[in-house]
Amino acid sequence: MKGWLISVTLMLATSPAAAQWSSEGSATKPGFSFPPDRPARILLFRPDVKVGAQTTAGMNEPSAEWTATARDHIAHALDAAQLAQGNTVVPMPELGGTDAALLADYRALFRTVANAAIEHRLFPGARLPTRKAAFDWTLGPGIERLGAAGGGDYGLFLYTYDSYGSTGRKAAQVVGLLLGVGMTAGVHVGYAGLVDLRTGDLVWLSADVAMGGDVREPEGATKRVAQLLAGFPGRVVPSR
Amino acid sequence: MKALLLLAALAQAVAAGPQTSEERGLWMEMDEAERELKDSNFVVRDSALQTYVEGVLCRTVGTARCAQARVYLVRTPYFNASMAPNGMMQVWTGLLLRVRNEAQLAAVLAHEFAHFEGRHSLIQFREARAKTDAMAWLSFLPMGVGAIGSVGLAGGIFANSREMERAADLASIGHLKSAGYAPGEAARIWEGLRAEQDATAAARGRKSRRDRNGGFFATHPNSGNRAAYLTQAAAGAGGDDGAAAYRAAIAPWWARLIDDQIKLNDPGATDFLLGNLARDGWTAALLYARGELYRAWGRPGDLEQAVAFYREAIAAGVVPAEAHRGLGLALTRIGDEAEARAALGDYLRLKPDAGDRAIIAAMIAS
Amino acid sequence: MKRATLLAAALLCATPASAGWKLVPAGTPIAVAKSSMSVRPGEAWNRSTERPSKRGETWTLDGVALSDLSFYAAVPPGEAIFRERDKKDEPLPRVAAGMLPTDIVAAVEGSYRILLRTSLFEVEEVAPATLGGHKGVRFTYRFTTQDDEVRRRGEALAALVGGRLYLMTFDAPAIHYFDARIAAARAVMDSAVIPAASVEVTR
Repeated sequence: MKGWLISVTLMLATSPAAAQWSSEGSATKPGFSFPPDRPARILLFRPDVKVGAQTTAGMNEPSAEWTATARDHIAHALDAAQLAQGNTVVPMPELGGTDAALLADYRALFRTVANAAIEHRLFPGARLPTRKAAFDWTLGPGIERLGAAGGGDYGLFLYTYDSYGSTGRKAAQVVGLLLGVGMTAGVHVGYAGLVDLRTGDLVWLSADVAMGGDVREPEGATKRVAQLLAGFPGRVVPSR
Repeated sequence: MKALLLLAALAQAVAAGPQTSEERGLWMEMDEAERELKDSNFVVRDSALQTYVEGVLCRTVGTARCAQARVYLVRTPYFNASMAPNGMMQVWTGLLLRVRNEAQLAAVLAHEFAHFEGRHSLIQFREARAKTDAMAWLSFLPMGVGAIGSVGLAGGIFANSREMERAADLASIGHLKSAGYAPGEAARIWEGLRAEQDATAAARGRKSRRDRNGGFFATHPNSGNRAAYLTQAAAGAGGDDGAAAYRAAIAPWWARLIDDQIKLNDPGATDFLLGNLARDGWTAALLYARGELYRAWGRPGDLEQAVAFYREAIAAGVVPAEAHRGLGLALTRIGDEAEARAALGDYLRLKPDAGDRAIIAAMIAS
Repeated sequence: MKRATLLAAALLCATPASAGWKLVPAGTPIAVAKSSMSVRPGEAWNRSTERPSKRGETWTLDGVALSDLSFYAAVPPGEAIFRERDKKDEPLPRVAAGMLPTDIVAAVEGSYRILLRTSLFEVEEVAPATLGGHKGVRFTYRFTTQDDEVRRRGEALAALVGGRLYLMTFDAPAIHYFDARIAAARAVMDSAVIPAASVEVTR
């Protein structure tokens, strides 16, 4: 997990392309839509949620309370958002034995694929010349086994990292100490990705370095989820 | 001294779990890390070895206390062990290769356990925050320090101050004494590490860093001091060193761990470690390992030495088929083609399904 | 980003997201790794503007963490094949004049283990092969790094030509990517040409 966390955050924080980020903050596989005839069953992989306070020097002090609260709020907000879309979100069940190893393998691969997709797709400066056009990333069809084990059509991966500025931090605004760049108080980054559990294709990806919404509050979590799910492929159901 | 006072102040039972908000935060972070570690490819999943190490911990710190720790054996060829505030203990395989007996293993486990009981991580966290010393805690930031990945939490995050290291060292001596282990073995670990660093340096033609306070050792007492005060603390007390039990427990892993070490390209240290392991005599397996080391070392005369070690190994008893392979390859390099062919032929006969069969067969034919 | 995992990533040591990518068109011979070695890719690849070492070059189809084809050309005796992270404390195995095919494999394995700080590296098959018409060795391997816990497979083709080492490696996740990309990578490796005349004059 840390590998992902390290790379994404570093990349997001230091990229000169950050200004273009918001316009490219999400991408959908061309032509993708949920099957129109039935609700999709979306397996939610245990979200990576980390919430803490940022001390004066920019050190993150993890908060178990905030994290647990945020995890709950995000789960509820996700549920609500997807129910509104006509989809069902269910947590990926805990798996045992070889299935647990399979799950760990795919979590690791998802991080790597999402990382590559973010770098090469969402940062125009790092585009791969052979892949300029389509948003076309996959974990491979072998993921079907995971879908079968968990009983779902799609897999949703979600990650948020929040470090709220403490009073000291807000006062100091220490430049360059935290991530090697000028920082405002607090760090709020997140990404989410949806994988088709039959084909392995990454059908949708969203990421942002400047997430809004205070995930420690229900309304904030709803806002965050809405932001994370920006551009989430819809069925032809009008949103609320 | 300061650390000891802090220790006294915080000497509540850890079994009660995290007490404050900041402590709960640390535990949560570690619980997440542990979730990842559980599924890591690097965790050694060998129930016999696992049971053995846990048994040593329980004998050392007592059955009731050891239940608070969860031990993970991690396949990493360097010397380290760590204990997170939530009870996640990591023991690296490079440590298993280096400690020479059960008492030394017990000393390390007791030392880590003392950090845990003393809530040293928390103290360290508070100090870091008080000093706004972000550098000391970069590991908590998304950018991390080095390849901490999901496992290497040891060095950076819990960079314990020297006072706490000392306190944990002295606590470990107490545990060794009450468990009936020879407490003098604790000092042997650090003497061994110093000698190994000397050997690394000598082979690389450099000055030894054995007592240098930098890198890994920046936050620890230097090995020389450490050996001295540990020896003093253990003075007069006897006990069991458990050398035979340790050897038996590690035996199934030994070849893999020594192979990991040989491939680190640190021939001085590897030769030193092999010499240590051979203090009761050069077994066939040790001679084979030494042949592998010398074949790769590359100094004048090393290939000839390697040939001699392989031959002694083969003469001494049961060796892996790879001893014949190594012999054949060393002979090829020397130019003794007939003998080389014979040895490589032996290898393929003994290991017909070898992954490198095609290239070895081609070398025989050429 | 670059620390994400792969050897090339470890070697590129790039500042995040700063690597640029250039198109390598299909069907045209192209010199690689600032050497006289050339290859003719059967399909288009992407070449990193950052080098994994001064005698190296990295291509990818999907991003280096997902498919990494790297070239190391004309490495002379006494030099490490890959860029060293810490020459003093973590020296890498060196190229040596009398290297056997098996020694080349061992040098690559040792370098990966040191650079990626992993003990999870296994050589699988080692077989004779030709590289640009020169006698060489092809080998396959598996490894995992602690950084991302992705299990990867690799295949390499190497030869000593005129006393210098030429090496091509392809690394990709064992799930899906290795199988999906190995044919394209192998086609590039097998297309390599090292003109005999230029062998002794390199730089």
